[in-house]
Amino acid sequence: MYKLFLTLRYLRKRRIAYFAIAAVTLCTAMVLIVMSVMGGFLDELKRKARGILSDLIVDNRSASGFPLYQEFIDEVSKWPEVAVASPVIYSYALLRFPDTEQTATVRAVGLRLKDAYVVNAFKDGLFYEKFYPDTTTLEPQKMPVIGYDPDAPRVKLHIDKGDFDVELPPRRLPPELQAALDRAMKDGVADDESVISEEEQLLRKAGMSPIIGVYDEASEGADPGWVGDELPGIIIGRDIVAERASDGRYRRFSFYPRGMRVILTLIPVSTSGSVDTPVKAAFRYADDSRSGIYDIDSQHVYCDFSLLQKLLEMSAAVRADGSGTIQARTSQVLVKTRPGVDAAVLAPRLEEAYRKVARNPAHQLDGVDSRLASLVRVYTWEQSQAHIIAPVEKERQLVTILFGIISLVAVVLVLCILYMIVLQKTRDIGIVKSIGGSSAGVAAIFVFYGAAVGIIGAALGTSLGYAFVVNINEIQAFLVRLNPAWQVWDRSVYSFDSIPSTVKTADMIGVVFVAICAATFGSLAAAWRAGSMQPVEALRYE
Amino acid sequence: MNSATQSPPTRAAENAPQATSTRPLLAAQGLTKTYRMGAEELRVLSDCSLTVAGGEFVAIMGKSGSGKSTLLHILGALDVPQQGQLTFRDEPVFAPPNRRSQRVSMFDVLNSAERMRIRLRRRHFGFVFQFYHLLPELNVLENVLITRMVGLKTFAWPAGRAAARADALAILQRVGLGERLRHRPNQLSGGERQRVAIARALVHRPDVLLADEPTGNLDAENGASLMALLKGLHREGQTIVMVTHDSSVAQFADRTLVLERGRLRA
Ligand SMILES: Nc1ncnc2c1ncn2[C@@H]1O[C@H](COP(=O)(O)OP(=O)(O)OP(=O)(O)O)[C@@H](O)[C@H]1O
Ligand SMILES: [Mg+2]
Repeated sequence: MYKLFLTLRYLRKRRIAYFAIAAVTLCTAMVLIVMSVMGGFLDELKRKARGILSDLIVDNRSASGFPLYQEFIDEVSKWPEVAVASPVIYSYALLRFPDTEQTATVRAVGLRLKDAYVVNAFKDGLFYEKFYPDTTTLEPQKMPVIGYDPDAPRVKLHIDKGDFDVELPPRRLPPELQAALDRAMKDGVADDESVISEEEQLLRKAGMSPIIGVYDEASEGADPGWVGDELPGIIIGRDIVAERASDGRYRRFSFYPRGMRVILTLIPVSTSGSVDTPVKAAFRYADDSRSGIYDIDSQHVYCDFSLLQKLLEMSAAVRADGSGTIQARTSQVLVKTRPGVDAAVLAPRLEEAYRKVARNPAHQLDGVDSRLASLVRVYTWEQSQAHIIAPVEKERQLVTILFGIISLVAVVLVLCILYMIVLQKTRDIGIVKSIGGSSAGVAAIFVFYGAAVGIIGAALGTSLGYAFVVNINEIQAFLVRLNPAWQVWDRSVYSFDSIPSTVKTADMIGVVFVAICAATFGSLAAAWRAGSMQPVEALRYE
Repeated sequence: MNSATQSPPTRAAENAPQATSTRPLLAAQGLTKTYRMGAEELRVLSDCSLTVAGGEFVAIMGKSGSGKSTLLHILGALDVPQQGQLTFRDEPVFAPPNRRSQRVSMFDVLNSAERMRIRLRRRHFGFVFQFYHLLPELNVLENVLITRMVGLKTFAWPAGRAAARADALAILQRVGLGERLRHRPNQLSGGERQRVAIARALVHRPDVLLADEPTGNLDAENGASLMALLKGLHREGQTIVMVTHDSSVAQFADRTLVLERGRLRA
């Protein structure tokens, strides 16, 4: 009893303990903030990686791909656990914008768009599809252009710059697109992710109906409509065709209009693994997509699976010598499971199913194809994204450990301060021992003391850290208002719109626990010294 | 024993028949204590013996530096001699000599002799130091209560609390500090501090009160009233061993011993 009593008394009367508490508070807050922000970052990354993948990925990690995917898909699609199975091809390519002479190295992804809408969150990341529902397609298409209605009353516009008025005929989208846009608007779809150009703002203010995205204009007086050759559609990663502003919204440019012609240069990889002559194909920019992972959105383009397969010479063919057929190949098959199915359990079964298809003698696989088939494995999405997530996970651990080590300063401070208090209180220790306090009892006073410093410090630190993390975006905004150079979190750099600002209960409990243990640990040396003092020597201490 | 109505009754008073028994309460045999400082050796006690019967009031006198405090610390189980034995009601207080177990360590619970000394300090002895030694963070009442707190297990404290408080208030009343309960030691005079120290040493009704120069820092008037208090306690049956260098103070005792060259003589 006297132990707690003296602990509390010393805590109240020894101001120096406040420094120890402050140190524990700051370290606790620091570690909690780091864990929360890094953890939020990691979660966001996982969520986004999840968005571009399916539950299970069938892959043989070979640029040549693997055969018999369709037979496999036909087989597993019958399973009750499988919602959709869809093939995907990946290939490196050059993307050229003929109008601006710009070229980018990209990863071309061949997919079945309707399947992709089901397999993952691909559809949610599309821009034009959101505002013009059901208009994005990878099928051959022409370029939509805005036209003018010469008979409609003209819209008056005042141009502040130069201070003059102009009159313009109202603009019109092709009817299908206008209808789709009207439908989306009626459903309350709002464009909060684009930077609205000055010109568009002006037009809207003058009363023109808004147009979302960028379209080319027909020559003056012409009707809206579709122009140019029919070319297959391509969906381009958003960071290739638009620029992310510091507030997280995207700025689109008039030189990247929807339906614009782009050239994709592909390098087929033969089954022998050698590089063949590059092939070129023209596409129309049908839409742009955003997964939220910058590396993907700045490098991926998506086109139709069969088309890409053909371009890459991965489709079925008859051998030159007529000795048989070459099997069509794919890079991956994405499998979406039905709700409640454990992907990790399904993975080996899928692998077995593929083996069975490959072993079927009816397919007559040649040596190369059987080798490619033998490499096929089924991965869960976590396994397949390990290369993106693992480094961030490691980083989080590393930073937490680093800050944990820095926090040892607080432990040392607790140690020093408690040791000092023990020295100052040597005579009191002698007194307590002289009235029958045991060594363990006296030591307990200081262990409790350390624990109390830890508990108070951890409580304050957790509150401080929590308040900081929850308001981290507001704090950032405030700092930026004071000085724009203090923008730490640049939304154009990080793909996330805001700094992660959730604190996990588990993190909080962990940090509090470690803080209390550390402070208690810091008190041990002092407690040991106090406990092992001889009563008379302690009483004589000057 | 007509003072039974006075509170708190001391344990010695309850055990009054023992006071007359021949069996000593406290017996020291051949105590030797040396302080070693490098090569130099200072022999403070050498073959010093003493018996104290229950209910006795013994005064120990001696010159400054003669080792009175050292002896009293050993008698109070606060210090350990190199040689000799002390028994309390025939129970040995020290382990056989030259055992490492004489040292205080963190593991005193594992050491039966140290456990015995802790029990003596906690329940059977009350010690009044030469220099008061009050806990500065605690007020007068708490300084007295702390003895009872140490004596009670944590879970027994809520139940024993009221009784402990009543005893503390009674003993503080007795030493004349009933009105100063909330004062801190630094707000008290030397005499008042000494009386708090005495209250602290008595609140758990010890068998033996060991007082080291209780009047050493007091003026004549305060010293006299303190001695009156001790005399009163003694009359109630309290066993007292008192160290003093003042022969007028020693008069109050039944028996006076002089410590000289490490030994006691009558
Ligand atoms: N821890 C110690 N280390 C070394 N010498 C000590 C120690 N404690 C006491 N002494 C010495 O032992 C001798 C006796 O000390 P003690 O305090 O017992 O004397 P005392 O008789 O109580 O004197 P006073 O009347 O002044 O209080 C002194 O000479 C002192 O210097
Ligand atoms: Mg002395």
